[in-house]
Amino acid sequence: MTDLTGIMAVTMIIWIGLFAYVYRLDRKVSRLED
Amino acid sequence: MRVTDILKWFLFVWLAVVIIAAFFYVRPAEGFIGESSRIVFFHVPMAWIAVLAFLVSCITSVMYLRRRDPKDDIRASVSAGLGLLFAVLATTTGAVFARIMWNAYWNWDPRQTSITILLLIYAAYFALRSAVADPEKRATLSAVYSILAFVTVPFLMFIVPRIYFSLHPDVITNADPDNSLDPAHLKVLLASLAGFTGLSVWLYSVGTRIEEIRHRRRQEVL
Repeated sequence: MTDLTGIMAVTMIIWIGLFAYVYRLDRKVSRLED
Repeated sequence: MRVTDILKWFLFVWLAVVIIAAFFYVRPAEGFIGESSRIVFFHVPMAWIAVLAFLVSCITSVMYLRRRDPKDDIRASVSAGLGLLFAVLATTTGAVFARIMWNAYWNWDPRQTSITILLLIYAAYFALRSAVADPEKRATLSAVYSILAFVTVPFLMFIVPRIYFSLHPDVITNADPDNSLDPAHLKVLLASLAGFTGLSVWLYSVGTRIEEIRHRRRQEVL
């Protein structure tokens, strides 16, 4: 694996992690609003 | 599935494609060491979101002073927090770029100096908010402060770095056609700007809803 692929993989993992966290938080907030 | 859920998944795919394109679709730009130019696809949108969020904070602060609606105060503080977060991220990615290009994370370049001042100004906004206990007084004082703080943004982000000599590349706003972005770079940069703008709208929405729930609960306790 080249350096570029490695950095891309780390960036993608950060994005997937951030998306999953905010998505779960958003759903939790929606439940609290109801 | 609701429309908002579809939009969130669309945003996920959009930014995932942007990440892949940023690393594999475009070639490294000429005049930069190695692959360092690829950082522009993340650094510029972060700086853009910071300015946009500070602008929203200023506008909602004006709205608070006119209407005295606590929701406007919440909107102002959430967007200021978002602006501060993205300004820190823009500074960090800028420092990584500086390390590759100039062999030092920090060299007090006018861009680095001006964004440090901006970070301190908006950090003081939150220090002010935490120092005042009375909610109405806190909202009024921080609204006035937010408006005054935003007055410095155009100077610190756009004017000061162009008055003094700076090592910072200026390939986006300069008028020299030989020193501008090629079409592939521009395409990915615009897609990244759109994706980051969508992400910031979502973060802003979640942040304001959390603060509104907190505000409602505090009102119920009182």
